[in-house]
Formats: sequence, structure tokens, C-alpha cells
Amino acid sequence: MIVGKQKPLPEIREMIADYGNILILGCGTCATVCFAGGEREVDILASSLGIAAKLEGKERVTTKHTVKRQCEWEFLDEIEEKVKQADAVLSLGCGVGVQAIAERFPEIPVLPGLDTLFMGMPVEEGVWVERCVGCGNCILNQTGGICPIARCPKGLINGPCGGYRDGKCEVDPTRDCAWVLIYERLKKMGRLDMLHTSQPLKDYSKMGHPRSITR
Amino acid sequence: MPSVSTMQGEAQPPCQVTCPIHQDVRGYIVAVARGEFSEASKLIMETNPLPSVCGMICAHPCETKCRRGQVDEPLSIMALKRFVVEHADHGSPKLQGESEQGQKVAIIGSGPSGLTAAHDLAKMGHKVTVFEHENAPGGALRSGIPKYRLPREVLQRDLEAIIALGVEIKTNTELGKDLTIGGLKNQGYRAILISTGLPLSRGLRVPGIELDGVLLALPFLREVNLDRQKIQVGKRVIVIGGGNVAIDVARSALRLGAGRVHMVCLEAREEMPSFPWEIEAALEEGVQIYCSKGPKSILGKDGQVTGLECMRCTAVFDAEGRFNPSFDKGEVSVIDGDMVIIAIGQASDLSFLKDSAIKLNEGGQLLLDADTLATSEEGIFASGEVATGPGSAVEAMANGRKAALSIARYLTGRPLAVAPPAEIELGELSPQIIDKIKRLPKQQMPALAVPERVQNFVQVELGYDRASAVREARRCLSCGLGTEYIEEECSTCLTCVRICPYGVPIITASGSVDIRVDQCQACGICVNECPAKAVILKQYQDEEVIERITTAIANASRSGVRPLTVVFWCSFSAYATGDFAEFVRTKCPSNIGILTIPCVTKIGIIHLLKAFELGADKVFVVGCPEEYCPYKESTSWARRKVDRAKKILDDVGLGAERLEMFNLPNVDIEQEEVLFKITQPAKQTQPDPLNG
Repeated sequence: MIVGKQKPLPEIREMIADYGNILILGCGTCATVCFAGGEREVDILASSLGIAAKLEGKERVTTKHTVKRQCEWEFLDEIEEKVKQADAVLSLGCGVGVQAIAERFPEIPVLPGLDTLFMGMPVEEGVWVERCVGCGNCILNQTGGICPIARCPKGLINGPCGGYRDGKCEVDPTRDCAWVLIYERLKKMGRLDMLHTSQPLKDYSKMGHPRSITR
Repeated sequence: MPSVSTMQGEAQPPCQVTCPIHQDVRGYIVAVARGEFSEASKLIMETNPLPSVCGMICAHPCETKCRRGQVDEPLSIMALKRFVVEHADHGSPKLQGESEQGQKVAIIGSGPSGLTAAHDLAKMGHKVTVFEHENAPGGALRSGIPKYRLPREVLQRDLEAIIALGVEIKTNTELGKDLTIGGLKNQGYRAILISTGLPLSRGLRVPGIELDGVLLALPFLREVNLDRQKIQVGKRVIVIGGGNVAIDVARSALRLGAGRVHMVCLEAREEMPSFPWEIEAALEEGVQIYCSKGPKSILGKDGQVTGLECMRCTAVFDAEGRFNPSFDKGEVSVIDGDMVIIAIGQASDLSFLKDSAIKLNEGGQLLLDADTLATSEEGIFASGEVATGPGSAVEAMANGRKAALSIARYLTGRPLAVAPPAEIELGELSPQIIDKIKRLPKQQMPALAVPERVQNFVQVELGYDRASAVREARRCLSCGLGTEYIEEECSTCLTCVRICPYGVPIITASGSVDIRVDQCQACGICVNECPAKAVILKQYQDEEVIERITTAIANASRSGVRPLTVVFWCSFSAYATGDFAEFVRTKCPSNIGILTIPCVTKIGIIHLLKAFELGADKVFVVGCPEEYCPYKESTSWARRKVDRAKKILDDVGLGAERLEMFNLPNVDIEQEEVLFKITQPAKQTQPDPLNG
């Protein structure tokens, strides 16, 4: 899933400063799951902005809505009327959602309420970690199911580097060295032999933007 | 606050399903736990015409089935009912005007069954007259149950409420002597209900039965309970029988001055038909119980009882499970005594039927349609123990209600038989859930000390006070009254699965989530964490909370005094600290608006922000002491909400210090002390700029 984080309230307040009538739009999929922009966050943000507006002595109308997924135009049809009434849409979806709204409703400003961060997963309640960068050229079969591109800050495909200490990364000593994890996993699998072969240079052209696929 | 009464179409908690009159037990217990005693009273009165009586002598099968019993001990449901009856403001009974369809109905017998039928029919608008052969109404409740279990003013309270519905009770009127079935019909009674109970005691055929000092249980109890005359009991009384009547006789004999009371019964201790709590009370008071013994003969000298010769009972029931005791006649023992009271069973008295066409069955009992309780004669019905045989008061009440429904249908020309609505009972708690539920000790019922008890007929159990009632009620697991899961809203984020302290939500085979309604503990943690708002609480929803915040702020702002303070106060601790309603009314400054909530877990960030949005200068969250809370992890989850809300208050420029949360250090803390913790910091609070 895509993981994002709600922007700090002061930043959001600055972003919406020029608009009097705002549609706060939640996303019912990834943004909900990572607690950044589901229906509950829409409520909380609306209430927070309501208090802020009163304090600033501003008249501001906020409308709330949450769609199933902001990144599908069909799911955006239901907000057409609400969008027409608003001066701006404050999207609590990921960057994909924001752009989908912008394309679907070209006449209205769309403001990103989230910072979209990574593709990842929750490892415990309330903790999400990055697991994939979408490199377009997956080598997980050769690295014990652990991605060195996403999980090694240097993205080394032939690691580890010389900087790891006691299994920890030199960039962030609180984090496990991805290559140590790869080593341990391959050892458990009885496939340390896989480390005898160097990985060829990675074809990063497959990460070139923008990418698309056609079914 | 809306009633938490039965939700139609859902699985019902076992307490309610088991209750013969289907009281909304969960509803009124939850109301007590919240301190809403009047609401509890309303729920009790809705289905119970004898609430005071049931609060003291009910057989309470609900407690046997209470799911808290799977965790530690069942709730003291009967005692909580008594508390509500004694402490709640019930309002005045509604006087019933005669309805146009109202018809004359005669009810013979004013025991629990007859009274229930009278109550129900009167509420439907019928004109009911109850005929009672004793000089005061109540039937077995008055003549059979000793006053130390059911004080007469308690019975009177329920009787007055029934009379207030327009029911007429004629005492000293005996069927067969003062009136006849035919005569009643001639007087215009369109329907007649026979609920005459089982007024006769069964005797024994043993040598010595004719001796002086041999009595039957029911006449004995009648004399004692109706204050007819001062009964002289022997110094050593022997009671034959092991049922509830035998215990009543034994405990009454002690109070009348018997130095020693022995009970002799056929059954082994665990087979005794009496309620276990009655046996315990009798033993506490010094009654000696001899089990597995049957009477062989009553011994006497000069025509006066001197003892009871017993033989060992080897089995009470035969291989087919029928009552057919067998004895070892070689094992004989003698119990000395100067009085023998026989309490081995009761029988109906149908002598009033001798000139009637009402048919009897092969066993000599009334021939009845089991579904409608109609006799063979049109318009004549029977209910209670005369119809069903021996049973509890609440079973007789249920039977009276069934008869009332049949009679009502008869009077309006509808078919008598109606299939009862199908009920679904909530399943048992799973062992994994039971392991995780907090153990909470049962509140002990204060009772008179044994030496005080046996001197008189004063009521033994003293009843809960407010604090102990609330503490007892909050032990209720609110079975089936927890969360409602809205699948179409769910984003399958699995938060509920991960955070539920009890492991209630599970992932189904199809990959969706199931928050198992029969296992949910109603703590509310998942409700305020669910990012998709796909989980709601059946008894505490956002709209209701926001409405209550609005009201609290409106009331507090009327004072014109600042700071305008809103307090979210856990109702479990609030009411456990005394008369909270009185405190709020008389001692709490008018600028403080208090909302009681059934645990701080149920507070959402949005509730806290709303209070400020609506103009609060200061908001407090007051929780129970952690170890006292019926739920797990309540403080830490509430703290997370408060911390996030504080951060938001800072971010918007209102200031985090306007929101505070604390837990009471103990449940015995004075409310004034809590008030001090609220008023002192609030004094330093600047008015909320939002509020002008």
C-alpha cells in the first residue's frame, strides 16, 4: 500500500488561507489504512480548521466527504456537486489522488493535505515501513526476499558496505543493515551460495518517469 | 440519552432469554452502571408488574446464565433490581382509564400469576377484579413467604401500583364458598382466570402422623405469615422436606424460638430442590440438615411427638428418572424432637369445581390447552401453579402473562393461539476471550448478623447502596451491546484486529473482518481508532455525544461565569463516589458542564475538539483508577486521544493546556476533591477566544 502522512496543521492552514469554502476529501483506501486521510481524519481536520478559522476571525465553510479511492475517476463522480460549491479541494489522498482530482476537475484548485511517502506495510500497530521503491526490475528472488534498493539507504545491490556495525546501518544505527538481513535469511534458507555471484549493474532506466503500462 | 433497551431482531443476552418474563436485564443493569437509576426503573417496570417482590425473592435464573459467571461470578441481578426499586424515582403510576373495548375479567387468586394477568389486562384497558380468599392480597407471596425474605411493605408497594392501574381486589372472597364460576358469568365477567395456586400441603402416611405436634407446612406458614396467632413452636423442631418451603419453615421456626431445628430430606445435599442460597442461609443460622433420610415413623409419648425415626434413602429417583425413593430399611436413625412439620410438597385445591363442567385430566388436574391456557370451558383460563405445578414466582408471573394474552385475544374475538416470537440467544464466551477479561469481585450484599437474624422476622439482606450498586452493575459485560460493524465502510486496515485487548475481531475466510458481536466487551477502543468509522457503539454514538456536549455547554454558559468548563467524567467512578446526580445539582459550580461517559475509552478526539468548537474554555477528562476500570488499557488509549487533541489545540493556537486528563487516585475520593482538581487549574484559564 501507499503510505502517507498528514501535513502539519500550520502548513495546511497556510495552504488554505486564501479559500473560504473548502471541500475536505478523504480517501477510503491507502490513506485510510495509514491513518492519514480516512473519514475519521477528515472529521478531525475539519474540526481543527473550524477552530483555527474562528480564532483567525475568518468565515470558512468546510464540507466533508470521503470517497472509496481518489485515484479512480469513477469514484470521483459522486463529489461533482460538492466540488462545484467549493473554492478548493483539500485532498487527504496520496499524490496520485490529488492529481486524479485535478484532472477530473480542472477548474478547481486541489491542495495536498498529505505528504505521500512510500510503498510499505505496517510492522506493528501504528508503525509503517518502506518495503518497495517500484524500481521496475525486481531482484527479490536473489536477495532472500529482502529488497536492498528500498531497505539499504545506499541502495547497494552487492552489499553490505563497510559501514555496518553489529548488524546495524551506519546511516541510521537504529535500523538493521538490509544486507545483514539478506545474509541471515539466505543462511536460514541454506542458500548462502547465492551471495557468491555478484549482481550485474542494475538497469535504472526502468525507473525512469513517467512510467505506464497497458493491459 | 436513549434507552439501551432490547434491540429487535438481534441475538439477546442469556439473562433476558432465560428470564421467564424476558426482562431487559442488560438494559437496566447498564443504566445502573451509568447512574441512570430512573431509566433503569423504567426498563424494569416495562415488563415487570412485581418489581419490588422480584428484587427480593426472585429465583433469578438470569444469574445462573449470566456470562460474567464464565469469568468469575455472575452479577447480582436480583439485588440490583432491588436497588433500583428502592432508590430510583419511578414517577407516579399511570392511572388507566377504561378503554372502549374494555371487558370485565375475573381473576381468582392474587398470587404472582393472578396479579401479573391483572396488571397486563388492566394496562390493555380491561376492567379487572381479583378475588382473594385471604384477608389481604398476594397469595403465596403473603401467606407462604416469610417476612425476613419479603417484608410486607415491599409487597404492598407492588400491589398499590397494580391497584393504581384500576385493578379491583376483593379479599375474603373464596371461590366455591363466596362465589362460583357460574355466578361470576352471571355478573357479566366475560373471562375468568383461575390462578389459585397450590394451597394444600401434602401429608405423609407414616405411623405417628396423628400425634400432637405434627403440622403441615403451609398451614404453619400461613399462621406465621398472616399474623393470625402467635404460634408456639417446640424446642426441637424437625422439618421434613428439602425444598424451599421446608427451608422457609425451618428458618421461621428458628425465629419463633425453636432452640434447635433439624431438616430431614430424601435428597443428597446436591440434589436438594431448594435454592442453594436458601440452604446456605439456613445453615448459617444453625439449621441442621440431614440428607438422604426418609421418615419411617413419628415417635411419640403420651400422644405428643418425641422424635422422628428415619431410614436411609438410597435413591430418590428410579431408573426412569421418576420420583420413586428406595430405602435401606436396615439403616435406621432417630432424631429427637417435640414438633414435626411436614413440607414435602403442595397440591391444588379444585374442590370449587365439583359442580362445574370444567374438565380435569387423568391426574386430577385442570385440563388445559398448553399453548393458550384455556380450560375446557369457553372463557375460562387457568395460570400459575394450579396450571403448571410447583414453580417459582417469576414462572407463575410469566404464566399469568401468557394467560392475559390469551384472554385479551379471546375478548376481542381473535384466535387464541399465537406462536411466541423466536428468540436467538447470544452464544457463550470463547475461552480465549474469558482469559482476557478483567476479574472484578462481586459486591457483597450486606446482611444482618446471624444472632440478630434469628431473633425476629426482620429482613436479612440489607440491600446495596449507590456505590456498591454501581460497582456491581459495571461488572456487566453488556453482552451483545458492544460494537456494530459496518462492513461496507471498512477499509480492512485490520486496526481493530490488532488493538482489541480481548482479541474479538477476527479475519474471516473471505478476507473481511468480523467483530464478533457475541464476544465484544463494549469497551469502545476500536470505535475511536477505526480510521474509516466502520465501527460504532450501539449505546454511545457520536451524534448523541455531541448533542450532550452541546447541552452541557448551553447549560454551563447560562451562568455567565467563566471559565466555561466541560468535564468528561467516567460514569463508573462518578456514581461509585456517592450520589453524583445530587452533587452535580447542588455542589457543582454552574459554569461546569459534566458529561458522564461509560469509560474514557469511549471519548474520541472529535468529541474533545467539538467541546472547544462549541465554546468551552477548558476541558477535563476524568477516568477511573486504572485497576478499578472494568476494561483493559482504557487509560492509555484515552491518553493517546487527549495527547493528539492537545497537539491540535497547540497547532491551531488555542493552547494544549486547555485540555487535561487525570485518573481518580481511588474510588473513595470525595467528589469535592475531584472538583478542586477541576476548578483550580480552570481558574487560571483565559476565556476561550472562540467564545467571545
